[in-house]
Amino acid sequence: MNAVSAVTTAAPGAPVVDLDLADLRHDPYPAYAELRADAPLAWVPSVGRHLLTRYEDIVHAEKLPEVFSSREEGSLLLRTVGPNMLREDDPNHRRLRSAAEPPTRPRQVRDLWAGAFERTAHDLLDRIAGRGEADLIADFAEPLAAANLALVLGLHQAGAEDIADWSRAMMAGNSNYADDPDIWLRAERATRAIDDAVAEAAEAARREPDGSVISSMVHAAEPVDLTEIQNNVKVIIGGGVNEPRDVFGVGAWALLNRPAVLDRVLADPAASWKRVFEETARWVSPIGMYPRQLTQDHEIAGLTLPAGSRVALVIASGNRDESVFERADEFDLDRPNRPHLAFGGGPHFCMGAWVARHEVSAIAWPLVFSRLKGLRLEEGTESPMEGWVFRGPTSLNVTWQAA
Amino acid sequence: MPTVIFQLPDGTERKVTAASGTVLMQAAVSNGVAGIVAECGGNASCATCHVYLDAAQSELAGGPNDVEDEMLDFTAAERRPTSRLSCQVQLSDALDPMLVHVPEEQV
Ligand code: FES
Repeated sequence: MNAVSAVTTAAPGAPVVDLDLADLRHDPYPAYAELRADAPLAWVPSVGRHLLTRYEDIVHAEKLPEVFSSREEGSLLLRTVGPNMLREDDPNHRRLRSAAEPPTRPRQVRDLWAGAFERTAHDLLDRIAGRGEADLIADFAEPLAAANLALVLGLHQAGAEDIADWSRAMMAGNSNYADDPDIWLRAERATRAIDDAVAEAAEAARREPDGSVISSMVHAAEPVDLTEIQNNVKVIIGGGVNEPRDVFGVGAWALLNRPAVLDRVLADPAASWKRVFEETARWVSPIGMYPRQLTQDHEIAGLTLPAGSRVALVIASGNRDESVFERADEFDLDRPNRPHLAFGGGPHFCMGAWVARHEVSAIAWPLVFSRLKGLRLEEGTESPMEGWVFRGPTSLNVTWQAA
Repeated sequence: MPTVIFQLPDGTERKVTAASGTVLMQAAVSNGVAGIVAECGGNASCATCHVYLDAAQSELAGGPNDVEDEMLDFTAAERRPTSRLSCQVQLSDALDPMLVHVPEEQV
């Protein structure tokens, strides 16, 4: 437990800013711009946390995990999946992370997983290629991300649809700031199903290691028990589908709306898709914010936050901070290469970063744009982006010339 | 206290001192040396703290461990024989002053 308990009210002197959750879900960026300008550390009652919105302050907090603890009391994620590495600090976080991480390292991604990722992407495109129209989220990006995730995790019995369903149910729980009981019920059903699937996979991996995350955790040097494996797999399923799916969707949306930029990318794909990935993740970060709780009094953004204060690091806002990124609201592949915050920072730096980079920028985008000729957005498509805790297009309806 | 001289891509130098045993990345970050990003905070999982050691000192500093060696294949700037992740290098009196070249890119 934390030495100090959570303080669920505004810190003395902190400006109180009322934000409507529905507005944030629709488009949080105007509100973030105002907060960065006028109240870079603001108590937002509907979120029950202080929002920290400037780039520099967020980086400061990420670099001090011993002050900005991941062990947030009453965290929605804890309620959804139970104790897990995202809500732990070192050394316990490190033990779990070291056990789970090896299969997600870049050489493993290239040598163990890339071939299967590519086959799955081709299979999915084979199914839709002759149709001339599709929703690239539901028909391609989501099943691809889910199948890849099942493979890397070692959940060989689970289908892509199970993984995608479980992920959606848990994500809804993790962002259930409105405390909707139906959402909790769905999340519980999903987590029970995952518990069973993981127990089975762990048993198989114990007999026969297969290089997957579950296998790696089963055979870790520092022991990890089954409940820990189950809970951490839940966390990974929670984030592992929507993040690659959403970065795929946002990038495809950005390029389909900018034909001249797309032409340039296709003229020099080897160099360009990596840039597209990093700029996309900056422009609309799939994870918009994550919570921290202070272990001690700490001064930041001109205020002293008392121990126990709850803070949300709004990385989506930091990534639009004009003092770091000029014309930050624009999608611009030529902007100077500054580190964005989309993967988080410090010990919790996104474990899926290398998997996502590869499956999206080396496989998904290049295959979609080379195989579906004359790809364009369906007439009259308005921005399909939604969400603020997690953000991405809910659908991406496109047409192309079917062969 | 060993001295570290960071040579930046624009030709300028930053000189810092830190206790023997300090991690090179920490010495850079706590002194705000530009070009050392260190997104993962020193856990050898982001490859954004890449540096080139000086050829003469590189051998004395020792080679990368397995995890680091793998990460070094995925740095933004090209890998060279003297490449290291600065979060995996410790300052020592034997490497005083330490000469470090900061690459053009980290992301
Ligand atoms: S700080 Fe991330 S690899 Fe060194």
